[in-house]
Amino acid sequence: MKITVKLIGPLIYEGGFSEKTLTLPRPMTAGELSAHVKIDRKRPTIITRNGRAVANSDTLADGDRVVISHIYSGG
Amino acid sequence: MKGWTGYILRINLTNKTWKKEAFTEEFAEKWVGGRGFAAKILFDELKPGIDPLGPENKLVVALGPISGIPAPNTGKAVVAAKSPLTGFYGDGNLGTHVSSQLRKAGYDAMIVEGVADRPTLLYIEDDKVEFQSAEEVWGKGTYATNDWIYAKYPKSTGVLNIGPAGENKVLYAIIRSMEGRAGGRPGIGAVMGSKMLKAIVVKGTKQIPQERADEMRQLGIDGLKKARELDQKSGWSKQSTNAVLAWCNEVNGLPVQNMRKTSHAEASKVDGERLNDARVTTYGCPNCTMHCGITIEDKEGHESELDYENIGMLGPNINVFDLKQVGSLNYLCDDYGLDTISAGSVLGFYADAIERGAVEGDFKFGDAEKGKALLGQIARREGKAGNILADGTLRAARAFGKNSIDYAMQVKGLEVAAYNCKSIPGQALANGVAVIGGHHREAWIITFELKFSKRESYGPEKAAKVIELQRIRGGLFELLVACRFPWVEVGYELTNYPKFFNACTGLNWTLDDFWKAADRGYALIKLHYLREFPNATRKDDYPPAVWFDKANADAEGPQKGVVLEYDKYDSLLQHYYDQRGYDKRGIPTKELLAKLGLEQEAAETEKYARLS
Repeated sequence: MKITVKLIGPLIYEGGFSEKTLTLPRPMTAGELSAHVKIDRKRPTIITRNGRAVANSDTLADGDRVVISHIYSGG
Repeated sequence: MKGWTGYILRINLTNKTWKKEAFTEEFAEKWVGGRGFAAKILFDELKPGIDPLGPENKLVVALGPISGIPAPNTGKAVVAAKSPLTGFYGDGNLGTHVSSQLRKAGYDAMIVEGVADRPTLLYIEDDKVEFQSAEEVWGKGTYATNDWIYAKYPKSTGVLNIGPAGENKVLYAIIRSMEGRAGGRPGIGAVMGSKMLKAIVVKGTKQIPQERADEMRQLGIDGLKKARELDQKSGWSKQSTNAVLAWCNEVNGLPVQNMRKTSHAEASKVDGERLNDARVTTYGCPNCTMHCGITIEDKEGHESELDYENIGMLGPNINVFDLKQVGSLNYLCDDYGLDTISAGSVLGFYADAIERGAVEGDFKFGDAEKGKALLGQIARREGKAGNILADGTLRAARAFGKNSIDYAMQVKGLEVAAYNCKSIPGQALANGVAVIGGHHREAWIITFELKFSKRESYGPEKAAKVIELQRIRGGLFELLVACRFPWVEVGYELTNYPKFFNACTGLNWTLDDFWKAADRGYALIKLHYLREFPNATRKDDYPPAVWFDKANADAEGPQKGVVLEYDKYDSLLQHYYDQRGYDKRGIPTKELLAKLGLEQEAAETEKYARLS
């Protein structure tokens, strides 16, 4: 299953990449994917799939574009 | 009275006089400081209907009870006046040594009245005020003016100054400080210019009074350490606020092409990663624990300080995706003393109006060079276009006609910041009900509405979140006068702020006390509005019409075809009014005003307008 992951802001430096397409060994939830790419979940994050927010428990599908970001205030 | 100095400095530029005026403990506890002080002073002292650029308007610089005290991000000041852009109370905050120096000089606020007979620099040192000539730098940019000031005074002095935009009364001219900080989006710099006041320099030598100074010192040391640790752990400062740009692009919230579009394939060229890569250095405000001002070298080789709002509005909003060019546009705004958000919105609106045939001109989206030339024309009010665009999008739309007001991206005359809300109802509401006009400072709920609600919801939970954030962002932080970033960006606990306040003042406030003070401040600013606009309606709290226009919906992507819906937005607005205790016009009821201790202000308002 192929998923494109885009990290936002400081998560880029934490995860070690900005955007990449991953081939996952098995179906994963959004939360599992976040752990898979080694995102520290001590700070609240928002995960979107194809532009819409998903819960950590939502299962991802082949071809999804997933964006993981901290929650910001908007400057 | 501890925590406050107990004095306001009143300066009259016409007569070259000044006096030190005491205020009461009751005044201090009711209005707290910053925005609260400014709103109350201007309500009491300005008659409705006065010309904001005339001698009767007053400039207020107001600080809070923790201003200037070493603690996380307390180096800010509120600047306020009747806004020439919106026609009622307007304010802004900026990082400046004025926050500590004016308090050390013995004042919690300063009121500047009248008009000088020549360009003037006000020099304040404790009980002394000097009216110095600023003719040498009248017409000069803010950078040259700063250099001129710093040649005479050390950089630790508090400085506020304007550029040519303020001098020429551009309605969205701001006040600058410390070479990189800016505040007063609703034209507070133009008010300063109308008074022939080029700069204010402040030095104080006294102690800031604190009830439990030892406790505050320790709280401040611990707080600064903790907030710095949180920032370092989070890595926030790597991209600072511009991390938001890539995210907005991903979730269809980016302002592109005067907010016609919500994302762009080239957005990554101006995102936080590119900004971090291009970083020359980083700047912050006094007592800052998480410096947000990242500088880059612009196209002409200047060092230009960028953050999300100015990149969003001077970049994607006008289809410029070259970071160096965005830096150049930003540098010019800073040097002229133009608000970058409004300037980007004005340029986007002008290109849009030309493209849609509302006006003739040769400026096109993506033309950074022409954009730079236009900024100069605006700052100097040069030529027909420069002069019209200097008045902001609302007045420019009235001049252009042909329904261009529908895509003038403003609320109550103030241009909205860099969030395209046509499919984000809660943030659209936040703009609609922002108490001084379309401003992102009051409430930013986009992540809340995506993560904890449903994006398409117009439910009461979004109105509640807007109010919660208004109380914190537009309330607590604007009353104490501190930067919200440590709390909102890296999780520094909000409960620390009442601790600071209580140590300084000897009071025993909880956050609930601040919410009440915040509600009082919001209600008073609504009374400012009603006094100036007695026929106010709920339509005044609507965001720009183009966000409701199906023809402006995304043509592709996950938000394809989605725009705001009038009926639903109106019901969301009603949720907000109901939860606030406002009437159907969005005005606080007499019952609420009495509960907030505003009976006197209500009676004063009723001389000009009806209350429910």
